[in-house]
Amino acid sequence: MVCTGKEKLKIVYGDATLGIGGAEEGKEFHYIFSYSAGGMESLYAEGKEWLYSVPKPVFWRAATDNDRGNKFCQKSGMWIAADLFINCVDILVKVDGKEIPLPAMGNNNQYGEEESAQEIEIIYTYETVTNPSARVQISYQVKAGGRIFVKVFYHGTEGLPQLPVFGMRFVMPTCADKFIYEGLSGETYPDRKAGGIEGIYEVEGLPVTPYLRPQDCGMHMDTKWVEVYRSRQLSNRQREEKQTCIRFEMEKLGFSCLPYTACELENADHQEELPPKRRTVICIYGAVRGVGGIDSWGADVEPAYHVDAEKDMEFSFCIMPFVNA
Amino acid sequence: MQADMKWLDDPEVFRVGVLPAHSDHLFYKNEQELELGENSLAQSLNGIWKFHYSKCPLERPADFYKAGFDGENFDEIKVPCHIEMAGYDQIHYVNNLYPWEGKMYRRPAYTLSGSHKWEGMFSEASYNPVGSYIREFDLEKELKGKRITIRFEGAEQAIYVWLNGAFVGYAEDSFTPSEFDLTPYVKEKGNILAVEVYKHSTAAFLEDQDFFRFFGIFRNVTLYAKPQIHIEDMWAKPVLLENGNGKLSLDLRLSMVKGFKAKLEVLLQDEEGKVCLNKKLTCQSEGADKETEKEGCEEICLIMEETEIGPVKSWDNHSPCLYRLLIKVYNEKDELIEVVPYRMGFRRLEIKNKVIYLNGKRLIINGVNRHEWSAESGRCIGMEEMKQDMEHILANNINAVRTCHYPDQIPWYYLCDEKGIYLMAETNLESHGSWQNPGGQNPSWNVPGNLPQWREVVLDRARNNFETFKNHTSILFWSLGNESYAGDNLAAMNAFFKEKDKSRLVHYEGVFHNRAYADRISDVESRMYASPEQVEEYLLNNPEKPFILCEYMHDMGNSLGGMASYMDLLDKYEMYQGGFIWDFIDQALFVQDEVTGKRVLRYGGDFDDRPSERSFSGNGILFADRTEKPAMQEVRYYYGLYR
Repeated sequence: MVCTGKEKLKIVYGDATLGIGGAEEGKEFHYIFSYSAGGMESLYAEGKEWLYSVPKPVFWRAATDNDRGNKFCQKSGMWIAADLFINCVDILVKVDGKEIPLPAMGNNNQYGEEESAQEIEIIYTYETVTNPSARVQISYQVKAGGRIFVKVFYHGTEGLPQLPVFGMRFVMPTCADKFIYEGLSGETYPDRKAGGIEGIYEVEGLPVTPYLRPQDCGMHMDTKWVEVYRSRQLSNRQREEKQTCIRFEMEKLGFSCLPYTACELENADHQEELPPKRRTVICIYGAVRGVGGIDSWGADVEPAYHVDAEKDMEFSFCIMPFVNA
Repeated sequence: MQADMKWLDDPEVFRVGVLPAHSDHLFYKNEQELELGENSLAQSLNGIWKFHYSKCPLERPADFYKAGFDGENFDEIKVPCHIEMAGYDQIHYVNNLYPWEGKMYRRPAYTLSGSHKWEGMFSEASYNPVGSYIREFDLEKELKGKRITIRFEGAEQAIYVWLNGAFVGYAEDSFTPSEFDLTPYVKEKGNILAVEVYKHSTAAFLEDQDFFRFFGIFRNVTLYAKPQIHIEDMWAKPVLLENGNGKLSLDLRLSMVKGFKAKLEVLLQDEEGKVCLNKKLTCQSEGADKETEKEGCEEICLIMEETEIGPVKSWDNHSPCLYRLLIKVYNEKDELIEVVPYRMGFRRLEIKNKVIYLNGKRLIINGVNRHEWSAESGRCIGMEEMKQDMEHILANNINAVRTCHYPDQIPWYYLCDEKGIYLMAETNLESHGSWQNPGGQNPSWNVPGNLPQWREVVLDRARNNFETFKNHTSILFWSLGNESYAGDNLAAMNAFFKEKDKSRLVHYEGVFHNRAYADRISDVESRMYASPEQVEEYLLNNPEKPFILCEYMHDMGNSLGGMASYMDLLDKYEMYQGGFIWDFIDQALFVQDEVTGKRVLRYGGDFDDRPSERSFSGNGILFADRTEKPAMQEVRYYYGLYR
């Protein structure tokens, strides 16, 4: 079925997932939101899968030398566990603005094969494994034409230590060919971005800044949009490799696009200990701790560049499954 | 004189037979060679030497310098090169702890009990590696029949030198040239030079820099032939007056064959070649019968009194205008004997109302600390690395370099003169481990401290630094050393520089830790890693001296955040005059990965070296391969704003 952008979304009320399909100017998209996996399981566009695992909140960055030196890791170490393991405790579905009971097995027999809607919103609620635990809500609002509006809300919780970062991580099945973004030149952080020059930048491959000991890197602050280009797929189907892209639009957020997760970087003592580049890990950040620089054996990052976990935070961005010429 | 192993243990013996330190001027036999940059009076001994490594003095081939020694079982080594980088001994990176930490208990002689000399500490140690070097050479044509010296530009950490079986001398102070007179022993052909290099001596207590610990001949070795009349030392003292006029005076020390008369022509030309000064000087050696003179030569001091030049173009970072001084030396028959060139600038450095001014403008230091480093060859670097470093410095609005924590190779100073880079010229002194370590601070056995037995050795280091580099316009500060605490001996170093040189300032940070010496040490209040708030606290409380951060913005790994807070201080406080980022280039070494075979960078602890401070030597604004870290754009931006 070929639809136009004006047409409604096609909805599949599955037993364990919610499927949403459609097309825009002849380009097809199809998304699957999982109840059991606690998040978006598939972002399929122009014949290509864009998600390897379910996107989740990010709470950790690979410790920088300054983080290690000022014992930030010891003070805030519980966030690494929160980053690795998180509970999805609630899922809420709204169809055209109206909340419905979760349409999973037993609740979905009323639907048929030709369901549609103008707009679907799915809100996942997570609970961190920190002590005390904190709640995070990620809302995906899918509109006709395929745009996904993502809102992330963190509920500030008293007693929690400062965060290294707060954001959302997307892991793509294969390495990207390149990414293009509009924002600041080079690698920037909240307390190291005055030298960044605004512009549109194209970055080939997925470079990892070769710090002597691997650590957080590749941050790009104040970004307006970023497009990730991929050709390779994991699918067994024999096909010509075609480069396509998805685009994240945002209001001056930070992002990094690397072949590794924070924990993979954290675990390596040298660049050569990093695993082969295999996936694309793109994180969109609502809050980033500064890198600091007074010394590397105790001085904290300046207070203005801390991320306070006791306060509420929210950020939002939009995913476009394809870029129209 | 015979060589004595005990010198290794004695802080009062640090130079035996070493010629006095002198200015680093080049000298040529005529103007043609000067223009071509080819000096037939110099003969490089760099290259492949015979070499033997011993783990300790007892195991060394003690007779290797004697005629007829069979060096058949010797290996070969490249000179210059660190011995560890040639595959011997142990590559080791440790920060402020002494390199024998956890393996040997040592205290510097005369500390604690006062009289304990710790005899045999280094000469009889079960571990104190020795490199025995042999180099055979014939004199090149132009050197034959002339007075010959040999110059080791850098050898770590204590060296004994023999030529043709005769003992020539002993030297410490690894980072300044050690020059010996070979004239009594040298032959035209078949010379055998033998050099013993020891990894540790009492100098080790003074060379505890936070870096990879190497030993060996790691800088050039060169023979020089002196013409019959030779300028041994010169100090050109250009003065920039407030009205924009210049003055120049000259202190010269000549050596010449007895009975000779020397005529000197002193020329000063501006950038366009216009002659601004042309003076003739003469002097005569006293005659042939003076007993104290050696080898038929004598030394004479000659002074050119301060001479007015008229209006001059000043030298600074924006406009590093250099004048060319040319001294031509003639004999009585008006035959040209020697030509000495030097490029120098006119500048005026002063403190007024507790603020440092250069040429009447407030000085702002947008600086960086620079170790000499190559991931391929350690601290053994060449012109190529220096040029690349200078390109990065110029491209990123850096205007000052601290030669942390030892004098650099000579060409670096010339490069800084030419490019207008302000230098803080640091003396080779760091005794960090004798008073401060990761566990805390305790100066109970600090050296040099107040110990009379440790005074001359540090004064010698100050003298070597001063005498070698005194003509370089780029040097604005003499630095006494790094992290060595403060006491009478540092105060004596300070007094030495103050007495010798009125045209520059003296810097030392360590006095911050011992305020009792605040009046006697350092023209500037210098701190390292003080937070912006701490800097402000000093500046708001009746500050005595202008303030400099000799180290700040510790750029280990992904760092250099929060620079704005320091730069703001420049606007707020006249007396805050900037600082030197720590530091220029990551110190790490290329090796072949034992797993993948790839070329990778390794740091402390990766060579089974213990104890080690691991990646703590990776603090550069350049990666170890000389590519710029992402943080460089921040440096370029802020230093550009305040240039």
